[in-house]
Amino acid sequence: MLADYVLLLFSTTPRRAKGVFNVLRGRRTVSTLFAGLTANCLELLDSWHGVDLETLMAVVATLEADQLLVSTTEGSWQLTLAGQKRQQQLQTTLYQPQAFQAFQTIDVRRFERVSQLALQVISEGAHAEKRYYPVTSDPGVQATVKQWLRSSRQPMTVLGKRLYETLNDFLTTLDSDLATIFVMGLTGYQLPGRTDQQLAEQFDRQPLEIWMIRKDLMCQWVLWIQQHQTEPLWPLLAPLIQATAISQSAWQTYQTFLQQPDVQVIARQRKLKLSTVREHLLETAILMPDFPFERLLSSAVVTQLTTIFQEQSDVASWQFQQAQDQLPELDFFWFRLFQIMRCRQEVSA
Amino acid sequence: MTDAELYHLLKVKYGFDEFRPGQLAVISQLLAGEDVLAVLPTGTGKSLIYQLVGTVMPGLVVVVSPLISLMQDQVARLNYQGEKQVAALTSQLDYGTKQRLLTNLSALKFLFVSPEMLNQETVQAALQQVPLALLVIDEAHCISTWGPDFRPDYRALGEMRQQLGAPRTLMLTATATEQVRQDILTQLRVPNAQQICYSVDRPNIYLGVQSLTDEAAKREALQRLVTTVSGPAIVYFTSKRQTDLIAEWLQSTTDLRVAAYHAGLSAEDRFKIQQQFMAGQLDVICATSAFGMGINKADIRVVIHYHLPTTLADYVQEIGRAGRDSQPALAVILYVPGDENLVRSLNDLTAATPNEIARDQQRFEHQLPPTTAVSEVLQFYWQRGVPVETVTDLFGQRQRTKERELNVLMNYVNTPTCRRAVMLAYFDEKAPSHTDTCCQLPGDALPLSALGLAVPIDVPAEPSVTWTQLLAQLFLPNF
Repeated sequence: MLADYVLLLFSTTPRRAKGVFNVLRGRRTVSTLFAGLTANCLELLDSWHGVDLETLMAVVATLEADQLLVSTTEGSWQLTLAGQKRQQQLQTTLYQPQAFQAFQTIDVRRFERVSQLALQVISEGAHAEKRYYPVTSDPGVQATVKQWLRSSRQPMTVLGKRLYETLNDFLTTLDSDLATIFVMGLTGYQLPGRTDQQLAEQFDRQPLEIWMIRKDLMCQWVLWIQQHQTEPLWPLLAPLIQATAISQSAWQTYQTFLQQPDVQVIARQRKLKLSTVREHLLETAILMPDFPFERLLSSAVVTQLTTIFQEQSDVASWQFQQAQDQLPELDFFWFRLFQIMRCRQEVSA
Repeated sequence: MTDAELYHLLKVKYGFDEFRPGQLAVISQLLAGEDVLAVLPTGTGKSLIYQLVGTVMPGLVVVVSPLISLMQDQVARLNYQGEKQVAALTSQLDYGTKQRLLTNLSALKFLFVSPEMLNQETVQAALQQVPLALLVIDEAHCISTWGPDFRPDYRALGEMRQQLGAPRTLMLTATATEQVRQDILTQLRVPNAQQICYSVDRPNIYLGVQSLTDEAAKREALQRLVTTVSGPAIVYFTSKRQTDLIAEWLQSTTDLRVAAYHAGLSAEDRFKIQQQFMAGQLDVICATSAFGMGINKADIRVVIHYHLPTTLADYVQEIGRAGRDSQPALAVILYVPGDENLVRSLNDLTAATPNEIARDQQRFEHQLPPTTAVSEVLQFYWQRGVPVETVTDLFGQRQRTKERELNVLMNYVNTPTCRRAVMLAYFDEKAPSHTDTCCQLPGDALPLSALGLAVPIDVPAEPSVTWTQLLAQLFLPNF
């Protein structure tokens, strides 16, 4: 089953497996993010958090042995003809997450834990049950929910009714099986909730597929609450949302850059190494759809690099060495920035 | 505090009229300022002792507990009983939460912590800032059984206790031989602690062993047991993989509601399975030995060991989860000749030869990091400057003890005479006279009717419910 989901990440052009996996695992180094940009999978950033890289690489090896993937250059794989057929088949039979992009800017996992306890507390409270085992003993999560309850200043029965209505509104937007999976997974009064394994048996799917479904439903729910900010759980979600996927430090560097574009000056002002400033700007360029490349890249560099790579349409396969052979003074930063710009242009074209 | 006042507190806070055997004696000694080593049988409400003492005495109760899942269960159980000022300090907490907890220790009444966490400087420093009512070493036999070659921080508990100002200390266990008790007192440096020891025997648990020829016969025997004997039941396994496989097999070949429980599951799934079991929504749990340590389900009727336990003491702990309502219960080991090799290979995981120990010391001398689990354990000794010879002796002794323990266990499995007598002799206790409802002798059938356990599990039909109905059940009280 994991192999099926891994196969869906590959295409008919070579993709760097480690790069793609690290995007999904939430690694935010520039090289990982760049791999995500070229493989067009940045919207899955951090959605497979906690999944072991070695496990994923072992799956790739199995897919290769099964002749569904083939390695063209070291570290990169692409679909074989059989792989393409299998992928097409999976696209119609396997559950495809719809809202994993929420992981980019929202701490969905934290919300999952906090909301789980909040729903349990309200469910038990609405039934006036004081003796129950809380779903988590994490003191941070417990404190957050206590604080939320205090500030909501509403009787449990009222909160119960409101939560019933809000969940009902959200779940009616879903397919009935998905709504059932969502509700059966909840823990509350006299209902401990079903495990992924139990739901898998009930719905004749694999536990991993149920895991994907439940993660995706959580993302969909989070996005729904974001659109309905009068709902009772909004105060629990609001602090977990960031304006952008860009890290705070990189964002600050970018703000300084907007005031004046000289990287040396930015480094002095921000008290950072020059290399760090450059990494921050590359991270922003990758994650920000309308990054002002022209303010950094001189037209001379753009012209030179355009000439060097004009015969090579696959931007991801460009080699820095090739540019450096002709422009020995060129720093890797400018090459990578140009590469990001071209990737973006490809995507928008 | 007088006994009358303690009884009053017991009634008001916990709703009980009577203390269970041993509880009052231990509480009285602790309140009189003594350190106490309490060996009380499984299911006697050991946690009530420190809860009650914590209620009476000012300051924090620190409970040293061996497993994260157990700590989480204990916190949930105290929460269930209405105790709010309780937390577990575990490696699963994020940095911020851990820091907040350590700076607000005075707001807590109970803190659960592992020996490894307690040994951290920041934790020690924070604990030194708050008054301690009591230090509790839960599952204290781990000092002796896990300390030397698996969790060496257990060996440092005596030192940690001194650093905390030698607070009043309660050592709790359900199973400790005379030798283990001495080891606990020596390691914790409390030679004058009062010892309050009750029999490990649980007379309402019938002790069975079924010798089978091969794995297929064992599976069949298991299936027959869970479908013909009253439930609910726990089946214990050594490996996660077998736990999953057999749970799936039982689920598909019987009408029973079966689930697997082991450390490979997510915390959420573990919680749900425990709660389903407690609520009577599951008939059989296939589990590794961690299951049941923290839960208190009174009506478990059967505990089956599909794989051998590691020691007879572990066996007593594990079967002790059955029959806590004092009604008849059944404990059965399913044994195929050669099963003991699995225990041996588990024992070997923590073993190290004199050569390996010497080589690892060289590794430490060359300032290289530990590379294996055994090496991590040895690191503890090298950092404390313990000589190679001492460590070699310690490891050698531990291996010999494990082999002895295995022999004791196999003696229990293969004995042609009363098993209860064999079990109790190991704990230096005399057995009551053998009866038909005591234990299974070779050739005997299980006396299910005599035990009142011949009524098989009746699985109720599950009503079909829509998600809207479920949602209403969850949040609308008058639905």
